[in-house]
Amino acid sequence: MSAEDPNPAATPTPCKDIQGDGRWMSLHNRFVSDSKDKEPDVLFVGDSLVQLMHQFGVVVLWVGTNNHGHTPEQICTGIMAIVQVIKNKLPHAHTVILGLLPRGKSPNPLRERNAKVNKLVQEAVSSLPHASFLNVDPGFVHSNGTISHQDMYDYLHLTPQGYQAVCEPLHAHLISMLEKPAEN
Amino acid sequence: MSGDEPNPAAVPQPVKDVHGDGRWISQHTRFVQECKDAEPDVLFVGDSMVQLMQQYEVWRELFSPLHALNFGIGGDTTCNVLWRLQNGELENIRPKVVVLWVGTNNYEHTAEQVAGGILAIAELLTSCLPRAKIVVLGLLPRGEHPNPLREKNAAVNGYLHSWLPKLGQAQFLDVSGEFVHSDGTIIPQDMFDFLHLTSTGYRNVAKPLSDLLLQILEEMPEERRASLV
Ligand SMILES: [Ca+2]
Repeated sequence: MSAEDPNPAATPTPCKDIQGDGRWMSLHNRFVSDSKDKEPDVLFVGDSLVQLMHQFGVVVLWVGTNNHGHTPEQICTGIMAIVQVIKNKLPHAHTVILGLLPRGKSPNPLRERNAKVNKLVQEAVSSLPHASFLNVDPGFVHSNGTISHQDMYDYLHLTPQGYQAVCEPLHAHLISMLEKPAEN
Repeated sequence: MSGDEPNPAAVPQPVKDVHGDGRWISQHTRFVQECKDAEPDVLFVGDSMVQLMQQYEVWRELFSPLHALNFGIGGDTTCNVLWRLQNGELENIRPKVVVLWVGTNNYEHTAEQVAGGILAIAELLTSCLPRAKIVVLGLLPRGEHPNPLREKNAAVNGYLHSWLPKLGQAQFLDVSGEFVHSDGTIIPQDMFDFLHLTSTGYRNVAKPLSDLLLQILEEMPEERRASLV
């Protein structure tokens, strides 16, 4: 990609309020005000861990499956641009990038795209001391190639059972990160 | 509804697989299959408001015990629900009650059109299931602050309130009252993204709905209940 050809996946873009109820900006404003009074946004892992993570500064980043129309390379570059923004804003934080999950009941191009993104991101972060990649897919794709609605109710979003399967390795990873001395 | 022009919100339409992972048709196909295996007493049909309810404890607590099936798909409009119901989701089942909740995603349609689309679904249900009762849930307000979509959804509810009683089997249940605070805001403790409900939000909706369903099932004539066992 040339410098004159900006990556659409790495262009900071607010969501346009096409529907007219302003929900995206309301959520953004809430996150901004949350971050002024609260601990980092890692509510899914429990309070004691939140305290520890505040000291260490861990950011969990999980984004990319909605980048319709972008190539795996563009999405990877977009994710790495976010990692850089985090590094600039929180110089002591470590960013854990979660791998994109497979989607769709049956094999399809978006599964291949997400897998490619994961491979590229994993390569891109391997040399970075302040970031790591974590594959949290417990094996959602069964041997016949299908994903179960017990794990993803609409073949994209996780059920509580699906979240359980994803959060256990993530939790273990965060604990192990917190137990060993900081890398930098 | 006025005029002779067809209502665009009452035209059956499948969802195009624009992203390429076929999730919508996969879900529809699963529902059609579930009709072959299950004998639901209560059928829930609609959009994400229906679909997400099944992800919360309230579903297991209040609705699973009523032998309920959930045919909700996120993002669906009245057109999409109409298409699904005409294409296999009512085959092989004879629910006693159908709960219909759809319309907040009909961005391209006026309030009157949306209400007409909901009415068309209710009419289809009454013709396919002549002995079932139909409960139509009112659309909820949305957005953190007052906005045109809140007014539109309230207008849809107004039409439904006057139109639905004309269908003998259908009734309207407005559960929208709890959500807008006195300062005009909706809080994320009720709607995490100012549209979709949290578990607390679902509790507000589920209690009156569950009470109504129990009442309807209770009032069903004995011979009818016996014949459906
Ligand atoms: Ca690293």
